Amino acid sequence: MSAPFTHKMAAHCESGAVTALLKNAGMDVTESLVFGVSGAIFFGYLSVPMLPFPTIALRNKPGRIRLKTPTRLGVKMHTQNFRDPAAGMRALDELIGRGIPVGVQVDYFYMDYLPEYTRAHFNAHYIIVTGKKDGRYQLSDTYFPMLSSIDEATMRTARFARGQFAPKGLLFYPETIPERPDLKAAVRKGIKDAVFYMTKVPIPFFGVRGIRFFARKVQEWPKLTRDIEHLSHEVMMIAVILEERGTGGGGFRYLYATFLQEAAKILGDAAVAEVAKEMMVNGDRWRDVSIAAARMGKRRDLGPQKLHELGEMILERAEAEQQIFRRLGALVK
Amino acid sequence: MKEQDAKAVNAHQVVLYVERADDSYGPVQTGSYLAQEFIDDFFLKREHYRLECLRKLEAGEVSAVWFYLQTLGLAEADLAARVGASRRAVRRHLTPKGFGEIDLRLAARYAEVFGVPVANLFQTIAARDELVELMQERTANPLLTKTRVGVAAPGTSVGAGAGAGAGDAEAGKPEAGR
Repeated sequence: MSAPFTHKMAAHCESGAVTALLKNAGMDVTESLVFGVSGAIFFGYLSVPMLPFPTIALRNKPGRIRLKTPTRLGVKMHTQNFRDPAAGMRALDELIGRGIPVGVQVDYFYMDYLPEYTRAHFNAHYIIVTGKKDGRYQLSDTYFPMLSSIDEATMRTARFARGQFAPKGLLFYPETIPERPDLKAAVRKGIKDAVFYMTKVPIPFFGVRGIRFFARKVQEWPKLTRDIEHLSHEVMMIAVILEERGTGGGGFRYLYATFLQEAAKILGDAAVAEVAKEMMVNGDRWRDVSIAAARMGKRRDLGPQKLHELGEMILERAEAEQQIFRRLGALVK
Repeated sequence: MKEQDAKAVNAHQVVLYVERADDSYGPVQTGSYLAQEFIDDFFLKREHYRLECLRKLEAGEVSAVWFYLQTLGLAEADLAARVGASRRAVRRHLTPKGFGEIDLRLAARYAEVFGVPVANLFQTIAARDELVELMQERTANPLLTKTRVGVAAPGTSVGAGAGAGAGDAEAGKPEAGR
């Protein structure tokens, strides 16, 4: 049994999965629009006991895209969690048996078709289950070039992994979609959210203040690492997080620039298109940060002066983003 | 980023958002630049650290739980939440003495989180010859793992040679997702 479904890679798993499900249901949306409408662009410097080393977050809380997009576009999204794994698996089987592609939340670690070196425990990965054949679930993962599959036991483990952002068997699919969604209102709300989280949220390690915090803290990383190879690894992870952990490059800034270009057309506002260009350039400068971090790490060139230079590059991004989001805020007031 | 600057040749595919020649922005599927340029260094550092952790494990300084915690890059608090134990208990299990007190059910939960057979918490597997291939397979019995040993054709070995042990990628892979 399998549902009709067109697989396509996307930059990010959550925005990609939501976009694919909406498109499959007949709604004409792009990944960038979904990302922007949900106000997903973000910055956070996270140093918490659940993480082995401080890290950065470049989009807001996992699950928010899935929740905000349908609300703002007027889509009725069926969402269900399960306490009992057997009930969760039965419900999934029943839905795909009816030919409905279903979005599910899983622990990324168990997606054994992905390159081994990318696999890490992260409970908020989103895939779409399109069918079941010979005891294996057929699935569309936006991080993988083609349709893939995992066995039943692995799917169960991945859907019912414990820990932070535990999926609890979450499944979702669109029930109804509106004929004419109010895109203008949705775009405005999404931009307002982004402006709030980037410039107004009163937490020192979130938003633009978080970028400044990161610029300072990265210079203290040698104190947190066991040796030069560990420091090299963590500095190079900055590049991986900015460029390849489902960001579309430049720490989601390119993806957001694409959204702003679409938003300018929807709102009929050329000034928003100008901000889109600035955001694209901002993405380029974030990519410069990535390349600098990767090269420093590979050459083990991680002395205080080099880390200071990296911190300065990051600080410049804080100043640029403060200007960009303030301007954006003024345009959607 | 201009579309032509996004192109990289690598099997690891990603989607990047780029500026096209007509000034429009949109997605392009391409190879991973980072994997192309930096993956060797990543593997080198990972292997160095794995061998250092393995040395400590085999010297009896740490437990297999510590070994996998370190090589998978997990935090103690995260591991505790994933196996459903307290952080204090997990900390105890990081030592050989504390690990010796756990029951099989908890060992199975650890193994599931680490993506390895339960048996790998109690053994390291090493082959003397690089041509020897080791494959671990799941059986219907949740506590039993079948280990197949074969000889690869010359030039096709995947590195289960001397020094491979607990956490060995090839030995652990088939069981990932138990």
